This record gives sequence, structure tokens and C-alpha cells, in this order.
Amino acid sequence: MTEIDPGKKKTIAASQSAPSPLDGPGIALDPTWFEQTNDELPFTRHVLTTPLHLVASEESRTNKWTEWNGYTVAEVYTNFDQEYDALRTRAGLADISPLVKYRISGNEADAYLDRLLTRAVSTIPIDVVARAVLCCGNGNLVTEGLLFRMGAQDFRLTVSSRHLNWMFDAAEGFDVNVEDVSGTIAALSIAGPMATKILETAGGDDVSALAKNHAKWVELGGMPVYVSRTGMMGGCEYELWSDPSDASVLWKRLFEFGAPYGIKAIGAAVRNVARLEKGIALEGVDYGNVFEAADGLNPLSPFDLGLGDVVDLGNHVFNGRRALKDTFKRGSAKVLTGFEIDADQQAQFANIYVNERVIGTITSSVWSPGLQRHVALAIIEADALGASGGFSADVTSRWEKSGVSRAPISLAKRPFLAFP
Amino acid sequence: MSDEALQYDVIVIGAGHNGLVSAGYMARAGKKVVVLDAAEAVGGAARTAEISPDYQVSSGAHLISCLPKQIERDLKLSKHGLIWATKDVVSVALDQGGKHIVIPAGRKSDIETLAAHSKRDGETWRRFEARIKNFASILSPFLAGVVPETGLDFSGNSATATTLRLEKLGPEDRREFLRFVPANFASILDRSFEGDLLKGALALDATIGHHSGPNTPGTAFSFLYKKALELHGQGVGYPIGGLGALSEALAGSAESVGARIRLDSPVMEIIAGAGRVSGVRLADGTLFKAPIVMSSVDPKTTCIDLLGARHFETSVAKHISGIRMQGSAAKVNLALEGLPTFENFTDREYGGRLLIAPDMATVERSFIAAKRNELALDPVMEMVIPSYHDPRLAPMGHHVLSVTVPNVPYDVEGGWDLRREEFVKRVIDTISQYAPDLSDKIIAGEILTPPEIEQKFGMKRGHWHQGDMSFDQLLSFRPAPGMAGYATPVEGLFFCGAGTHPGGGISGLPGKYAATAALALEKAQ
Repeated sequence: MTEIDPGKKKTIAASQSAPSPLDGPGIALDPTWFEQTNDELPFTRHVLTTPLHLVASEESRTNKWTEWNGYTVAEVYTNFDQEYDALRTRAGLADISPLVKYRISGNEADAYLDRLLTRAVSTIPIDVVARAVLCCGNGNLVTEGLLFRMGAQDFRLTVSSRHLNWMFDAAEGFDVNVEDVSGTIAALSIAGPMATKILETAGGDDVSALAKNHAKWVELGGMPVYVSRTGMMGGCEYELWSDPSDASVLWKRLFEFGAPYGIKAIGAAVRNVARLEKGIALEGVDYGNVFEAADGLNPLSPFDLGLGDVVDLGNHVFNGRRALKDTFKRGSAKVLTGFEIDADQQAQFANIYVNERVIGTITSSVWSPGLQRHVALAIIEADALGASGGFSADVTSRWEKSGVSRAPISLAKRPFLAFP
Repeated sequence: MSDEALQYDVIVIGAGHNGLVSAGYMARAGKKVVVLDAAEAVGGAARTAEISPDYQVSSGAHLISCLPKQIERDLKLSKHGLIWATKDVVSVALDQGGKHIVIPAGRKSDIETLAAHSKRDGETWRRFEARIKNFASILSPFLAGVVPETGLDFSGNSATATTLRLEKLGPEDRREFLRFVPANFASILDRSFEGDLLKGALALDATIGHHSGPNTPGTAFSFLYKKALELHGQGVGYPIGGLGALSEALAGSAESVGARIRLDSPVMEIIAGAGRVSGVRLADGTLFKAPIVMSSVDPKTTCIDLLGARHFETSVAKHISGIRMQGSAAKVNLALEGLPTFENFTDREYGGRLLIAPDMATVERSFIAAKRNELALDPVMEMVIPSYHDPRLAPMGHHVLSVTVPNVPYDVEGGWDLRREEFVKRVIDTISQYAPDLSDKIIAGEILTPPEIEQKFGMKRGHWHQGDMSFDQLLSFRPAPGMAGYATPVEGLFFCGAGTHPGGGISGLPGKYAATAALALEKAQ
């Protein structure tokens, strides 16, 4: 299987060989609007489009877009309920190309990652995906994401925000090459009960054999695609990593083979609900990274976020080890917790109370169609977890003019929504 | 040699004076110590060597101003051959007209000379001197031991002493102190004195060995810091036999309690694993093992070159590789067939520390030249005639002259091969303006450019202080933020050289405090 050359400069428009999305009737888009040309200075363009922009916009019936890491992605393609329904009962396809991706290679890539991450990578076999947590010297989170071991000394790290400066700082003294390959790798996420079936009919032979957090190279319609059994939306899900020039063809192919199974494009709105149903906290939403936190108290340690099992306090030197040893002994002061809200009301940024004492804040809250109630993530004081109940939060009514009212909430285990 | 023989309790890298002090204290605490040094003689830059047969001189550092009596007593240095030739070297600001200013202006005649330059200076000198002494004594408690790791810990004794002394100053001096600390020294001198020569000499005092000129912010603090360090010493002087005699006494003292000193043994690598140091490897592959390694090599070389950045967390490695090491100086040592004639010189002046810095502008210009990797047209310098108090350094009637030239760039424009002669000529021409018969008396000479100092004494970039001694790299920030306690994040590895608190100069204090810290840490575990 040939490997994608991440250094290759690609234009974002659909490749020549692909059936052009412009062939369809009634679509008057000039692909050159979205092209990034080679003579463009870096960082001059602030609105970026993903390699899938043209085919994705073809699916859009609402023209509702949103921003993700500087890229334009669909907020809603057709209708929230339809998309959610497709995701949970059939299959949903999402463009996740804006994810930040780094390629780490070179003779000492493993040694470099051993020091960069809170766990040793030597035990990770090739084609296995591991949870990756990056900490700063004070033991607080820089970011977290997934580490793909693609070769003995070839890794891909996907995280939610850019940290190239930190990655470069950490590279001093190592024979390692760190590059931001975000723009040169397209990524799709396919999830839902029919996802496996669609992938297999589209040419991905026996992806069903792929265990959770494993990955492999697959040829889909002649295109090399790295398929990983990972995702943030819950249920049976896969992520597909491909060359940008193949991406729109891949998208079309999945729609073509997925149509009989009722596949739908999934926008950012449904993705957000899905990730909350799965109970996943996001950097920049549920917690701030150590470099961006407004004050020294806001950033959190991996233990606070329930990522303790990704931290190996053993003997190897890694960033944050000294501080995390203390943090571990001391225990967390604040923890990320899941709540269910017994009211049909919005509660983001709401205070959480126990006996009229503010013990934390809700960081994300959505109505879960799957659970038929509001679920929320919150950062609360750790000692409040001992309280057997009596949690309440200020919620904002959507209908009453009175605005804020107090509603009872209760602790809930994550993931909120269980999948078979 | 079997592996068994190379197992020690403590390995000290570098047999400079700080390394030897550490070794002495560790060996006295019952440790089996080995000191490894790349050179063929002990002492690092505190070494005596021949310029030519029968002419001996302190080839690197040539004065001791801050070696505490305590270290001398603890390590029984006089028993091991340390005899002071003099301990009261005065500073003499050379004047072309023969009206040399002696600092400290202790005698009535000194004040009269000051007044001859400027009536006002004659009157204000004593007040200035008293004030500086007061100010320095505020700082000095912090130099009396290990500084707190982060910030100034106001629960400690040093802080209490400082607060009390600050209180005792009274409102006017306290205000002046707070204005003094962050200022550039030029502005302090301008508002204190009129005479160019006095200001030039004091400005040279504040900036010598640092990458700064009198107009650089923080130089007033540098001056205070130097004076505070001197409060821990026993006066300015040198031992009989040059500074090498101190190093030999230190080595003898360490060896008398069982320490082994191995010369010609350059350490190429510090070995560590799993966050713990386990030994060192020499260039020839010989392995030495010990649970404690104390490095008197500068912290940057120790951590980045000898150990490797990977053994530190990124934020720590970044702090260490960010240590500024710009300041550099050159050394010129001359063998003379007689005393050079300086106008109006008496015994005291000939035995003094001679400063060539006619005014602040000249000092500033030499710094500006260094910034541009150029050589100053009129270099400033510090000279000593060590054979004056210690005649055995040269044949009867003959002398040696030891010259330190600050603000000499490491990477001189055009390269040192091309600029050497020019540099020596400028130095000798400048001295000849004060002692016209100098060039007639030169028999032999040697010059050590910053790259040669680096090569000869193992000092990275020829930096005497193993890291610029500016406010942001002193006290709790020396050698780097969060590492002021001599222990490094790598268990068992300690810094014990001038790169650590309280910094450069022949004080032995970094070596002593490092040993104290290492022993205390071991006791605590």
C-alpha cells in the first residue's frame, strides 16, 4: 500500500479525474473560489475550506456553516432531526478534515513522544491508536487527542488545537521531524449501525474485523485510505484518512454505496450533540489549555478530566511528570463530571449548587434526542462529589420571560447514551 | 582496572575552585569522591602558569575578593599551603596626568586627590561609600546560603535580615535604595559625582566581566551585587604563588580526606536513566559510577551537551538552553624586566588593582564594540602586578603584569587569527599611555582570547561567570527559574559551579552551598 506523501502540495478543488460536483444541475459554484494557490503567502487566508468543501456544499440544503480551526464546515446540512436520526439508526458521514494533525517521524520519534506524552509509546503496536495527553511542566493539560502509530518510527497525532510551537520546543535534542500535516490529510468520519456495511460494500474489505482503536490501510475504489476504528460520535464508527485529492471522490463513493442504507451528511450541530451523548469533553469548550487559560486556576490536569489511566507515573521522564506526581498524591481539586438536567432547559455556563453553595459550572449542555433529556458536562469541586444529591443549577428558560430559574440536576455516568 | 574500582559516592566534574570546594566538603562528610578534569592541572581558571621560564602568573583569574574565611577554615587551607601575599589590594583609577584616584579613598590624601578632580566628589565620596555599604548589606544575607527556589521566601532568615536592614536605613536611604536597584549605573554615578575618572573607574567595576555597559539597565544592581559578595570575603588579594596556589591548597585539602583527583580525564557524557543520574563516561570510554554527580561545568553545557535535553521536561530544557552567556573577556599576561613606570606611584599603587577607564563613555564604547563583535579602539582594563607582593613569581627585580580586558567578543569580526596582533597592540598602546616605558620592558607575553579561554579552562564561550550575572539570572533565577537549589530535576545531579547562586568570582560559595544542598537532600531522603 502506498503511503500518502504529507509534504505534497495539493490544490483543494476536486481532482480532474473525479466526477465534478459542478456537473449537477443548478449549481453555480466556481471551484477557483476555494482554491489555495501556491503563490499565496502563508497565513494570508483566514477562511479556509476543507478538501471536501465543494462536495459537502452540494449536500447542503440550508447554507448554514460554522467555523472549526479556521475552516468552514457545515453546521446543518438538511435538518437537525433528520441528521441525528440517520446517525443513530442508519449512518452519518461527517467532514472532520479541520482536525489538527501532526506527523512525527525520524529515528527518535518514539523517544520524543515518550517525553511529550504522559505515557510511553513503545508498548503501542503498529496500526493501533492510543489516547494521547500532552502536559506542560506544571502538570496541566496542553491538549489531548489520538496517537496513530503508522510505522515503527512514524506517528500521527490528532489534537483539537494547534500546538506546533510546543511540539518544536520539545523536539530539541531529539532526532525527530515534526510537521503540521493538517492541510495535507483529509479526514472523514462515518458512524451509525450501517457504517460497517457501507464501508464494506464501498470496497473496504473486512473492516468489520477491525477492533476498537485499531487501524489499517484499505483500498476504497482504488484509493489508499487509512481506516481507523475511532470517533467521537458514539456507536459503531470509523475515521477515514486520505489524500486531499481523493477526498471528494471518496465522499461521493460513500454516498453512492451508502444511499441504499440511508446515509446522510452530518453537520457540526449533530456532531456536538453526539459527542456530548458520548460524554467527550473538548479543549476550548469544556476546559482551557494551559497556554490559553485566563488564569492559573482554570487549566486542569489529566486526573481532573478523568484521563488518569493515560498517565504513566512510572520511571520515564515526560513533560509534567514531576508536577503530576504531586497532583496525583494531592488528588484533584476540580473534576469533570456528567450531569443530567431534569428540565427541558439550556444550562451552559450555569452555576451548580449544593446547599446554596456554588460548587462548579456547567461547560456544555444539550438536549439529547436519544435520551430525551438534557445532558451536561461540568467542572465541579471534587469534594462536592461526595454529596449524595441535592445538586441544582441555574437554567435559562426558553419560553418564560422570567429567564433564569433553579432546576434540580443529578450526577450521571459517562457515556450518557449507551450503545450496543 | 575493574569496574569495582570506578564506583564512587560522588563524582565532581571539573577541578576548578568550586568543584574542589564541593569535593572537599563532600569528602569531609565521609563520601568517596572523585574529581574529574580535562586539564593537566587543577584549578580551572584559578591556575598559575609560566609565561616563559621563571615568570609565573595567574593565567586566568588574578584576584580573590570574596573567598570567605569560613571556607578557608572548614577546608584547612592554610594547612595545605595557602598563604596570602596580600589581602588589601586597593583599586587605582589611572590618570594620565598622574592624579590617580585610589578606591576606597581611605586616607586623607586620597580624598584630596578626589577633590583635585572635583571638589564636590571629595565631599560626597564618604557618603556614597557608606550608602553603598549599607545597600550591599541589605543584599548580602541572600548570598549567605541557598536561595529559596521561587521568589523571595519571606519566612526565611535572609529575608528577615533584609527587611530589618531595609527598615534601619530610614526613609531617605530606603527610597534611594529602591531607586538604585533597577537603575543603570551611569545615571547613579552622574547624579552622585562630577569627576570623569572616578565615574569611569566605578563604571568599570560594575560592568567588568558582564555583557553590559554603564548605561545598561541593571548595572547599578550588578555593582551592589559585587559589593555584597565582597562582604562575604576577606578583602581583595591573592595568595603567594598566584591563584593556582589556592587551587592546589583546595586539591590538597580534598585529597587529605580521601578524595581522588583525576586529571586529563575529560567527561564526555553524564549517564542518566529514568530520571536518575548514574555516572559519567570519559572521552576514552572509561565509566565512573556514582549516585551523586556534581558538575562545576556551566549548567547549559552540563544539561544540554553532557546529559541531553531529553532528560529534562521541555519547559526546564527551554529555561536551561535560554541561559544567556554573552559576557567575555580576554587576558594578557606579560613578563617584564622591571617595574613599568607610572607617574606618582607609591608602594600601595604598585601593589594595587590598576584600572584603565578614563571616563564612562570609554567604558560604554568598549561594550558597544563588543556588541558588534568588534574590538574597542581604546580598551578598558584591569591590571595587577602580582610579583609586587609575591616576588618569587619572577626573577629578582623582574615582574609579571596580569591584564584582564573586558568586553572582548568571542566571535570577533574577521576572526581571532587576523585580529590577535592588533588586539595586543591596542592593549599595550593603551597601557603605555600611563606607563610609557612598558614596551621596552616586555620580555615575553601571552594572550588568551575568549576562544582560547574556552579551550584552556573549559569555559563555554570563554564566559568567566558561566552565565551573565544580570538581575534576571541571579538569586532565585540562577542558573534558571525553578532550579536555584543546586539540585536538578535529574535525581542525583547537582550544579556546583559559578553558573549557580551566588555566581562567578573566586568565592567557593557555589561549591560550598551545592555540597550543603546535596548532603541535606540525602539526609532528607
